[in-house]
Amino acid sequence: MIEFRGVNKWFGPLHVLKDITLSVEPREVVVVCGPSGSGKSTLIRCINGLETIKDGDLVVDGQHVSDRATNMTQLRTEIGFVFQQFNLYPHKTALENVTLAPIHVRKIPRAEAKSAGRELLAKVGLADKFDAYPAELSGGQQQRVAIARSLCMRPKIMLFDEPTSALDPEMISEVLDVMVAVAEESMTMMVVTHEMGFARKVAKRVVFIDAGAIVETGTPEEFFSHPRTERSRAFLSKILRH
Amino acid sequence: MIWQQLHSLIGSYPLALRGLGMTAVLSLISLALGTLIGFALGVLRAGDSRTLSGVIGAWVDLIRGTPFLVQIFLIFFILPELGVELDAFTAGIIGLTNLASCFICEIVVAGIRAVPTGQVEAALASGLSRWQRMRQVVLPQAMRVVLPPLVGQYVLLIKDSSVVSAIGLTDLTRVGWLVVQRVPNGLLVFALVGLAYFIVCYPLILLASRLEKRLGAAHAEVQL
Repeated sequence: MIEFRGVNKWFGPLHVLKDITLSVEPREVVVVCGPSGSGKSTLIRCINGLETIKDGDLVVDGQHVSDRATNMTQLRTEIGFVFQQFNLYPHKTALENVTLAPIHVRKIPRAEAKSAGRELLAKVGLADKFDAYPAELSGGQQQRVAIARSLCMRPKIMLFDEPTSALDPEMISEVLDVMVAVAEESMTMMVVTHEMGFARKVAKRVVFIDAGAIVETGTPEEFFSHPRTERSRAFLSKILRH
Repeated sequence: MIWQQLHSLIGSYPLALRGLGMTAVLSLISLALGTLIGFALGVLRAGDSRTLSGVIGAWVDLIRGTPFLVQIFLIFFILPELGVELDAFTAGIIGLTNLASCFICEIVVAGIRAVPTGQVEAALASGLSRWQRMRQVVLPQAMRVVLPPLVGQYVLLIKDSSVVSAIGLTDLTRVGWLVVQRVPNGLLVFALVGLAYFIVCYPLILLASRLEKRLGAAHAEVQL
């Protein structure tokens, strides 16, 4: 479903992705973790073309992302993306946020899109917030709207870029619960997160990245309990300290 | 003597009305056209094409960096030399519209650039096309930033329309020149002309400061 083949990327002189080779199967849930600045966000942003790759090949849903002939706008409709900062449209209500792309991109009739949107918002526990504006919602609620917004396009792949990092601690679990529910519907998912509970529960693999390179890949059990490299041990000891 | 002058001033009211009408028509047409073109230019200038953005930027700088009086002379006196015949009214409309477009373009660009990149990325990630991103996500948010200075700019442009009297259009300012030949009291005549401009502009000034306060307050509620 997602395949990196020797992908490299530079920001000026900074080599942010180093020879990344990684393949995600359909319906697989992969968690990506690593220290800040390790390139994990850049990695996931390449998949829907928010970042461009310099060298190597990246195939998503059978299409070559770096190929100029690829219709990225079309490909993006198949990929849901959840941002760390939610990025809800502040001038639109929760329901309008969710139905914007289905109506304008998928050309689904307004009434149909709205009922699908209400259903999804109800599913993420926001049945009473259809007409609320983002500024009237808590961070956890905003992130759940953002997830519903992505799901409403019925994507084949869902990408999450540190979806709980901007949240107050008491709101993290409400968002993770929604993500677990999405994973259990056998969605192909790639999640940048340090939430180990989530990884243990739904991830098939954990990919550990440091300084732009994949250092270690394994099942959550292997990775968290028996990290093989010195760098992953050092990283885990830092996030586990508390 | 002042009564006599006032009396003949009152006699000039048809001319004054004509002048006011001319100023209003010139301002309305060029502001409407200038707003449309200014938004279009602003969207293009903030777009991906560097060439287009550069060309528009250079033109805007040129227009902003030269006196409007000089521009209007160039349009009215030089273009006919090159074979483009223009009457004074058309020349006035072209000059004012061009000026309005350039100033409004810069206001729109600033508004578009004030929209956080995360908003554009969210729209991109949902598969919205370039036009849909602009129309649905960027412009509505840019309007908060654009509206107060836009109305302020309208005030400046209405006042700038007085320059067209230099090419013989009978607007408010030129009516002042004509009347002062009959009523030799410059202070009185031009005080009245100034008052007429002020009466047109003041509601807009009030509107601009109200918009600024209201949108400023609305902005504070939105956490980004």
